[in-house]
Amino acid sequence: MAHEDRAFYDQLAARGVTRRGFLKYCGSVAAMLGLAESMAPTIASAVEAAAGSKLYPAVWMNGGACTGCTESAAQATYPDIAQIVLDILSLNYIETIMMASGEAADEALYQTAEQNEGNFIMIYEGTVMKGLEGNTLRISGKTGLEFIDKIAPKAAAVLAVGSCAVDGGWVKAAPNPADGTGISMYLKEKGIATPVINLPTCPVNPEWIVAIVVDVLLLGQLADGSILSKLDEFGRPKFIFGQTIHDNCPRRGHFENGEFVYQFGSEEEAKGYCLYPVGCKGPQTETNCPIVRWNNQTSWCVESGAPCIGCANFNWVDNCAPFLGRMRKVGIGMGPQSGGYEPGILGAVAGGVVVGALGVHAAGMAATGRLGKEPESAPKQEKGGDS
Amino acid sequence: MSERVVIDPLTRIEGHLRVECTVEGGVVTDAWVSGGLYRGMETVLKGRQPADAYYVSQRICGVCPISHGHASTMSAESALGVTIPAGARLVRNLIEAAEYLHSHVLWFYTLAALDYVDPAKALEADIAETYALAQAAGTSTANFGAVQAKVKTLVDGGQLSIFTNGWLGHPGYAQDMPAELHLIAVAHYLEALEIQAEAARIIAIMGGKFPHFMTSIPGGTAWVPTEEKLDDVLFRFLRVRDFVYNTMIPDTLAIAPHYAGALGYGGGHGNFLAWGVFDRESMQMTDRYLPNGAIFADKGLTVEDATPDKVLEYVEHSWFKSESGLNPQDGKTEAVDTFPGYDVNAKYSWGKAPRYDGKAMEVGPLARMLVAYLRGVAPAKAIIDSTLTALGAAGKPEVLVSLLGRVAARNLETALVADWAIEWVNELIAAIKEGPVSFYEPIDKDSGKGAGLWEAPRGALGHFMNVEGGLIANYQVVTPSTWDISPRDADGVRGPMEEALIGTPVLDVERPIEPARIARSFDP
Repeated sequence: MAHEDRAFYDQLAARGVTRRGFLKYCGSVAAMLGLAESMAPTIASAVEAAAGSKLYPAVWMNGGACTGCTESAAQATYPDIAQIVLDILSLNYIETIMMASGEAADEALYQTAEQNEGNFIMIYEGTVMKGLEGNTLRISGKTGLEFIDKIAPKAAAVLAVGSCAVDGGWVKAAPNPADGTGISMYLKEKGIATPVINLPTCPVNPEWIVAIVVDVLLLGQLADGSILSKLDEFGRPKFIFGQTIHDNCPRRGHFENGEFVYQFGSEEEAKGYCLYPVGCKGPQTETNCPIVRWNNQTSWCVESGAPCIGCANFNWVDNCAPFLGRMRKVGIGMGPQSGGYEPGILGAVAGGVVVGALGVHAAGMAATGRLGKEPESAPKQEKGGDS
Repeated sequence: MSERVVIDPLTRIEGHLRVECTVEGGVVTDAWVSGGLYRGMETVLKGRQPADAYYVSQRICGVCPISHGHASTMSAESALGVTIPAGARLVRNLIEAAEYLHSHVLWFYTLAALDYVDPAKALEADIAETYALAQAAGTSTANFGAVQAKVKTLVDGGQLSIFTNGWLGHPGYAQDMPAELHLIAVAHYLEALEIQAEAARIIAIMGGKFPHFMTSIPGGTAWVPTEEKLDDVLFRFLRVRDFVYNTMIPDTLAIAPHYAGALGYGGGHGNFLAWGVFDRESMQMTDRYLPNGAIFADKGLTVEDATPDKVLEYVEHSWFKSESGLNPQDGKTEAVDTFPGYDVNAKYSWGKAPRYDGKAMEVGPLARMLVAYLRGVAPAKAIIDSTLTALGAAGKPEVLVSLLGRVAARNLETALVADWAIEWVNELIAAIKEGPVSFYEPIDKDSGKGAGLWEAPRGALGHFMNVEGGLIANYQVVTPSTWDISPRDADGVRGPMEEALIGTPVLDVERPIEPARIARSFDP
């Protein structure tokens, strides 16, 4: 093992991470990236090499954010947040954890952009705040928009973390009082051509950030442009957002058997039955949450007994509420078409089609005797707003 | 000659904050604090279903989403007249406790420590002496050599990452604090990153994930615990508690004497408000583990019951057009139509100015711990008294109304919450063993007015919900930071953070580390 490698594993050991644990983790990153398990050593050596060489410059900018995505990034496992900011990225600007304050912090941002033009990554968290000429977000006596205008054109790519950054998130929900929008939409308005990688959900899943950092930076996919072929039409990595939650849900068998939860805290919930009648949006939501799960694979929404609220969908608050009510206007696999880019129109059409599909599916199962009981009326919470 | 000092952005906090001061003769003489963001949560929630507010309003704050979720769901339960079953009370206390542990550990090490600990100084530490000092201070050891080597690699490589442009070597760091203590703290800064994540995993077990959790729906909880899962929860709480008692508290006591001067300033108005947090069986606010109470500087160290009827919110200096002086139950939050600019003599913040019985109230761990102390909560009294003795101020709880007191109160509270969490897990395990436990109570009513009065780690939190025909007719939130970062009110009285800045010494107006410390001590 090279000297650098030993130092790298010493660092891991100092944080209680074994070499074996690290390699195992690289295997799961490989799986998430849609690569063969045999790529794990390649990923491991890319991470090791990064630890021994120049760090990739990055800035993390907060728009109209709750800081939940920064918080979520701090929940990443190997590489954990310390490795990300000390061994892989030179994260020179990130308001929530950086040492510098005030002018000195701003200088760190501008210097990074100027000295690494075209060669740094801009991570953007939160909604782009357009209301009152951008004054709904003020930083350093300027609007948040002025910061985007200056930094985004110089970045190699923008990584939009979380639904707010992707399409405005809850801030953009009707009546959108602060005129929020997503970063890709704003850049398009301003004619800024920097490519945007979109990672929706609220907050972003930290393992996806890790996967992108490994894939894009360490394995050179940004440098040679090959990352773009891995994104879908909405700028989302296909390997993360290519399947519905329903496809991989561990409760799927209960759905097939017509075993449903109709009330929280019930015997059916204790048995882990399907949450569709209490509002689960798993059939409409495209992420790999059931596989990657959350917080070091500790659990995820459905595992805790709560229905998926569809936070990966575009304009998720308007399109997925009422969260505890059965979703009537959208169906399996409609994903991003539920608004955002083309609010309303596309969503209605696609929703109609796939709701039909779900109906057919249920009818088919009923006919074959596999669906004992059709999901009945939604729980009492569902009152109004079902549109 | 007075100088203007501006810290904008104030980093290492949640959100966007500007701190502006005048400094005369090396001391802050006036201050203005400005909140930089308006998103319009209250407006977005109107017309939606009460349960939807639970999910959406958590997204106000990604550091304390649990508290917002709980306050929101409690406001729905209060409006629609439902009392949650005993099982749900314990589950919610546990989820909330995990967030407190997460948030307080994160605050002390990740956010605040760099105001007191200089990573550059850690490079001068002797490794053998560092181990000796850690042992003497009763704090945990780490691979100090590897940590120092890591810091050296960063500095030598010229890529400082998150330390870029930090005020390394600032003369405002305690000059009598040994390099070895700086190194210990840097090592624990890294270790704390794993501990905050462990606390977050406890929330993931019970709430699906963190940040933003899924299970504390109006009526109870969607999570139905099993003994196996509670064992997992218990094991992880024990691990976090071990860190709090054997690292965080000893670190606090080791570093504090080097900043003893901070007992002499940073106190502010001396008015405190707590709605209280962690319910007992009675579900009464004054009976909570950390109880409800209000303390007024002009009445001395005495406590009275706090009620939301006495809260009015003023907007003379805020960028809102809605009426000033409304009670939040029927309050309004409407932004100006045209942005008038930033002017400290007119409007200068996106924060409102809430007042309780006309007074600017500090909220947060110091408020909660003082209320608990005055109400005779035994573990709070014991840990505060022993700390006062350690700081050479035995029998003088009034010294806690200071910068150092605010920091200490938060860390001491962490220990109390860690102990209670273990108690609650055991209580829940025992209850499940005994027989069926209920976790959810359906809601039948569809109209009413209610408030969820609770405490986020950073202070008193209120969600106010009016429901008509099953839909939200009005929704208002008064966050802890709304209280603490409040601008001046109609009478020109400063907000709590503004007042606490007055009298703060400033060594170097170009690098105002001391005012930043005061602002961060509120954990805004």
